[in-house]
Amino acid sequence: MRELKLFLGPQHPGMHGNAAVHMYVEGDIIKRSYLLPGMLHRGFEKGMERHSWVNNISLIPRVCVVEPDINEMAFAQGVEMLAGIEVPERAHYIRMIILELARISIHMMAYGGLGSPTGNYTLMYHAHADRNSILNIFEKITGHRVYHQYIVPGGVRKDLPKGIEEDIHAFLDSLESRYEEYRDLGIENPTLLKRIKDTIMLPEEVVWELGVTGVGMRSAVNKPYDLRKVKPYARYDQVDFEVPVSDYSDARARVDIKLKEVVQSISIIRQALKKMPKGPVRVPLGPGQSMRWTVPKGSVYSTVESSRGEFGYFIVSDGKTHPYRVGVRGASYPQGLLGIEKYLPGTRIDDAALWVDTMGVCSPEIDR
Amino acid sequence: MTNSMNNVHEINNLMGQNFSLVDARILDAYQVSYELEKEDIHRALTVLKNAGFRQLSYLSCVDWPEEDVIEMVYIVMNWEKALHVQLHAKIDRNNPVMDSVLPIFPGAKYYEREAHEFFGVSFPGNKDHEKQLILENWDDMPPMRKDFDPRAYSDRKFTKRPMKRDYEIQDASSNKEREIKREARANALRTGGKE
Repeated sequence: MRELKLFLGPQHPGMHGNAAVHMYVEGDIIKRSYLLPGMLHRGFEKGMERHSWVNNISLIPRVCVVEPDINEMAFAQGVEMLAGIEVPERAHYIRMIILELARISIHMMAYGGLGSPTGNYTLMYHAHADRNSILNIFEKITGHRVYHQYIVPGGVRKDLPKGIEEDIHAFLDSLESRYEEYRDLGIENPTLLKRIKDTIMLPEEVVWELGVTGVGMRSAVNKPYDLRKVKPYARYDQVDFEVPVSDYSDARARVDIKLKEVVQSISIIRQALKKMPKGPVRVPLGPGQSMRWTVPKGSVYSTVESSRGEFGYFIVSDGKTHPYRVGVRGASYPQGLLGIEKYLPGTRIDDAALWVDTMGVCSPEIDR
Repeated sequence: MTNSMNNVHEINNLMGQNFSLVDARILDAYQVSYELEKEDIHRALTVLKNAGFRQLSYLSCVDWPEEDVIEMVYIVMNWEKALHVQLHAKIDRNNPVMDSVLPIFPGAKYYEREAHEFFGVSFPGNKDHEKQLILENWDDMPPMRKDFDPRAYSDRKFTKRPMKRDYEIQDASSNKEREIKREARANALRTGGKE
């Protein structure tokens, strides 16, 4: 049979963001494949070296388009570790609420994204409508829908507005009441189940070989390897939640874990709203002008559990007003580049979009 | 998954016994950082992998032109002990060669390609390391090096468009000095404190 070259993306409903999967196919079986990144390279790491520590706050959320808050958190945490800043108690809880709302929104988007490569558009519309409700809440809290610039070194930018608790509770209740419907529409749906069950497997050895983290890792190794549990940041050690796991990682198991994580996130937000103390939300970074603020020498690797896995910022300071080097470890780097090259061959053409969706490949964080 | 300072001391002993450490720092209960000789990196990664550090979290470089070195950074993670270990090693900046760690961590393949593209470090052992990854048709020095100037590159690479100036500043002379000062300060902030 003749070998054909096919492109998945960057213009394709099944592709997330501006990257392309090049596939060499025979019939509908992929023989060779690789990811073509670089269409969204904006030189962030160089740009961060040319902005001051405080200026960078407006640059970093743009590293990952759909989930910006983890960038802010990882950067703020790293700077706080280097500078030895203690964050107020209330700010920790507000950060948790923001991060968990972001986790729900991106899991809903990924779950809805499952609808588009498989042809189940109702699912996509419903999931995106719910994501929109979260963006409305973000707009009320931070003034922005997508890039919030809300979590800053020293705390959060502003306190929560009056009455936002009711909005959040109302949204969580409405999402929770429709949770079973979502399951029926997606992973309990027999048509869809046939497509996602037993396809694009991720065995445990492959997890360790590639360095996959997050949902992909937990769905294969059957252990709660979640940074929120393993090395708790913010106040994740003060709230009760479970980490859903499985020992058989097909597309269905990974989607199932994402949905179960939504339930856990709902519970975390409710507990955080209840336990949140009153008080200040931000400490001043230091005396004098914030643009002239310096950070002591040192290097630190600060990590956050994103919806796709371990998301890290490697920050080096030489004691001046600007970072000396900032390196971003995109959570989907291993599965997006090496995973597509090594483990997509042998599957069918339509499974490529499922790999990209269920493993959560985010092209902006690969390019940076 | 237990975390305590015991894990940190345990790994400190392990590294201290096996290697001559140039520098060792405990950052917190979840992270330690060691600086090693270039030759020890592969042995150290192997020792750490056997001690349960099965995941390579990050691989990159830091450029230090004043000392004429490029610092390689390897970060490995042990999920059972909740510990990140940073390994640093300095290599010559004028002839940056570092043997690939592919046999130990196959996941390093694309990190090494990226490090070659952005810092110009060669990785013998990784046969793909010279392939283009993110930058398309790049014809200048590796861009993440400190002496690469993005402004000069864009001035050279892209032709300047003529700008239409359809506004006038009223009484330009009175604010001239202040404007020059402000411009100098803004420029200093943009370029890292050099006025």
